[in-house]
Amino acid sequence: MPESAVKPLSRAWTTADPLVSVSDLKVWFPVSSGVLQRTVAHVHAVDGLDLEIKQGETLGLVGESGCGKSTLGRAVIRLLEPTGGEITFKGDDITHLRGERLRALRREMAMIFQDPYASLDPRQTVGDIVGEPMDVHHLAKGRERQDRIQELLRVVGLNPRFVDRYPHEFSGGQRQRVGIARALAVEPTFIVCDEPISALDVSIQAQIINLLESLQSKFNLTYLFIAHDLSVVKHISNRIAVMYLGKIMEVAGGGELYRRPRHPYTGSLLSAIPIPDPVIELRRERIIIQGDVASPVNPPSGCRFRTRCPRAREHCAEEIPPLESFGSDHQAACFYPLD
Amino acid sequence: MIGQSRVAELETPGAAIEGASTRPAQSYWNESWERLRANRIGMAAGVLILLFALIAILAPLFSLLLTHFQPQTIDLSATFGTPGSPHLLGTDELGRDTLTRLIWGGRVTLGVAFLTVAMSLTVGAGVGLVAGYYGGWLEDVLMRLVDMVLAIPAVFLFILMSILFRPNAITLAMIIAFVGWGNVARLVRGEVLSVKQRDFILATRSIGARDLRLMVKHLLPNVLPVMIVAASLGVGQIILVEAALDFLGLGIQPPTPSWGNMLSNSESYFFHSIYLVIIPGVTIFVTVLASNLFGNAARDAFDPRLK
Amino acid sequence: MAAPLLEVQDLHTVFATKEGMVKAVDGVSFELNPGETLGIVGESGCGKSVTALSIMRLQRPGKIVGGKVLFKGQDLTKVTEDEIREVRGREIAMIFQDPMTSLNPVYRTGWQVAEPLRLHHGVDSKKAMTSAIAMLGRVGIPSPAQRARDYPHQFSGGMRQRAMIAMGLTTTPAVLIADEPTTALDVTIQAQILDLLRQVNREFGTATILITHNLGVVAGMCQRVMVMYAGRIVEAGPTTDVFAHPKHPYTWALLRSIPRLDADRHEPLKPIEGLPPSLVDLPRGCAFHPRCAFKVERCTRDVPALLPVGETQLSACWVTQAGGELKGA
Repeated sequence: MPESAVKPLSRAWTTADPLVSVSDLKVWFPVSSGVLQRTVAHVHAVDGLDLEIKQGETLGLVGESGCGKSTLGRAVIRLLEPTGGEITFKGDDITHLRGERLRALRREMAMIFQDPYASLDPRQTVGDIVGEPMDVHHLAKGRERQDRIQELLRVVGLNPRFVDRYPHEFSGGQRQRVGIARALAVEPTFIVCDEPISALDVSIQAQIINLLESLQSKFNLTYLFIAHDLSVVKHISNRIAVMYLGKIMEVAGGGELYRRPRHPYTGSLLSAIPIPDPVIELRRERIIIQGDVASPVNPPSGCRFRTRCPRAREHCAEEIPPLESFGSDHQAACFYPLD
Repeated sequence: MIGQSRVAELETPGAAIEGASTRPAQSYWNESWERLRANRIGMAAGVLILLFALIAILAPLFSLLLTHFQPQTIDLSATFGTPGSPHLLGTDELGRDTLTRLIWGGRVTLGVAFLTVAMSLTVGAGVGLVAGYYGGWLEDVLMRLVDMVLAIPAVFLFILMSILFRPNAITLAMIIAFVGWGNVARLVRGEVLSVKQRDFILATRSIGARDLRLMVKHLLPNVLPVMIVAASLGVGQIILVEAALDFLGLGIQPPTPSWGNMLSNSESYFFHSIYLVIIPGVTIFVTVLASNLFGNAARDAFDPRLK
Repeated sequence: MAAPLLEVQDLHTVFATKEGMVKAVDGVSFELNPGETLGIVGESGCGKSVTALSIMRLQRPGKIVGGKVLFKGQDLTKVTEDEIREVRGREIAMIFQDPMTSLNPVYRTGWQVAEPLRLHHGVDSKKAMTSAIAMLGRVGIPSPAQRARDYPHQFSGGMRQRAMIAMGLTTTPAVLIADEPTTALDVTIQAQILDLLRQVNREFGTATILITHNLGVVAGMCQRVMVMYAGRIVEAGPTTDVFAHPKHPYTWALLRSIPRLDADRHEPLKPIEGLPPSLVDLPRGCAFHPRCAFKVERCTRDVPALLPVGETQLSACWVTQAGGELKGA
């Protein structure tokens, strides 16, 4: 039975219900061309997507470049306005929120960005950066504000002594911690982590992952963890959603996804990821799919993955496969899944 | 990460390190300033312009104590004097002391230059910021407005101006600024478009900051370097514009001295006293050169390439 | 056993910076045997790229201040500019990380791929282009004759990297140096490119130096591996041995800190504490000691030499050289 779209709740939202619900979400970007800059086509960055994020969980979102995962992250947190579909947060429809109501939402949701060098204003001190959310929402002033800033810096593992330093004086990993502190400053319930460790050195990545995990249990946070590195995502996530060209291909728990992937794309993704063990690498059966990711401006009809799929048949071009259930909490969108 | 000196190590539970740097906090401005200071030529040029500006401001004092002449004092018995005593740089066709006129002329010329730059920067930056930040129809409208203003032939405007009234330093500055703010607007808008893409702008939006805050607190400081460079180079450009206008008879009218009109005036008296040509000419040349050198040094100092 | 193809002996490359002299490569020695794939692994700033560039004498603005690079009877650090130019691209080819900027956007791709042939073998344009098209086909670019006429921006990242590999192979070099060739690519494309490199190694017999920070890539591609930290080699040996029983605390800690696809979710990661050192201000003694779980007093005083530990590995660690075991919670 396909996963149904968001049902309007006829009762008050409780923590047993999904925190974030996405229904048939579309985010299309216009492509203009010509002298008069007419819109000639659209980039189907997110193209009819259903997803639920449960309270307290970490939902991992993986996919390769062009799959739309960053766009989805920004849409969910309403840094973009969707072209179609619906997003609800704690039961409320936030799809087209504006103005003050949107600003109020900003206290509940925060985002951590990929590039520790670009995500901090080089002209502001680290203290100002972390304190700004408090200023914007009038959360604290004066002495209290200073104390909160210092506490936040401590919580992310930075020495509060350096509150007056500038971002460029810190290393990449430290800057990322500042970014995390800033996200925590609004006291959110939900944080979108957009490739938070991709730009960091390998030996630092583990530190940040551990930090994010400890903060989650400490502050009761829900994460949408977006990354292209499935090894990392599998470690930190309760469930993983695999995206391709604007649509979800498969959703399952990490262990289940690894042991029994259903979607051919997931299978090839898993097969492509190198494992730091020469013995395993030597023995592995590799499913190397050919070709490049198709263009999101003109996605293939029917199943988006069919142009590279070794199992594709005619039917795949005619109809978009819906997300089907394969046991509890495991869905895949494929007419001819792996067994 | 080669050679990157860094601040204290982090303090996670169980971490072994608490290494600390004892350097004071180094803001981006401090770093840029240090880079600027290291550029000797640029600094010398900047100091020179400041010196000229200072002398210009203190013109009455110089008149009183140094030259002992007023700029309008005519002495028909001492026309076309060569540099010496008491006229340190000689005299012009009416016996007026060249040095005194040069100092007072600097007041006018530099005054026009700085005032024009200030005005065109304020208006241009404002328009550029708003257009670049909001985009969409607002940007289109504003940029088309800029295009229109820039399409007005400047000379036409200046001729019109000279027909309608006699420009003084302030009104002249206003007219030149009117013609020129469009370039600043374009420059700032371009820079805003580039800075706008950076993640920290999105991050600040994500915490709920309003547009005004974003523009003033985050975009403006990051766009400032480009404006500083434009201002430094602009001073030199405006001096040349003013001189050109004087040559066309459209600028500051005699007997008020300006470097430009001293130069254009001297055209008729070339064979009587070459000093009347050389002195204002060299002064203009040196000042414009200094402005260019400082502007280039500023650009290098603020260049984020090194980050 | 055949003589090594390339021998680097005690190489030292330095950079002058505002904050002082940076020893980017601080006494690196290794050999590359014919036909093998050698991995150099380490994090940013460890000196792996500079080592590769030094071999090709492309290390400017750095300076090679010591050591030798022996290749086909010559010391590449001492030959003239003309002589090293002969070697570059013809005998030793290099491919870089970012395929977007490695190719010149204003020239057609085929023309660029043919360039090494025109330069080194004096082949005329037409013949060179024919060879280039053939090579593009061999690296898996479909319709190579048509694609050769395309400009780089018309290629995807993976295709561009294939074109770079083709360019590197046109002169059938003895050595191929690949500096993070797949870091900028998607993982499924990475798999394709790594597969191609394996194929190239088999078919052409080109010895390859593969530089990466990804231990998984090393595990799947390299027979031997060298681990670098702060400009020095800290461990070297056959890949299977180094991964199975690392003999340097850095390698050991690194292997424990990376999330593995086949790991159980509930095992917490064990990060390496602290930060990589600043190359202008290296700690006294072993550069890794501030972050090391096994350090002893000697580590804070003396820089360890790279010496045999165990049967097949080399390690620059006082503790393991003295027989200590690397074990932890």
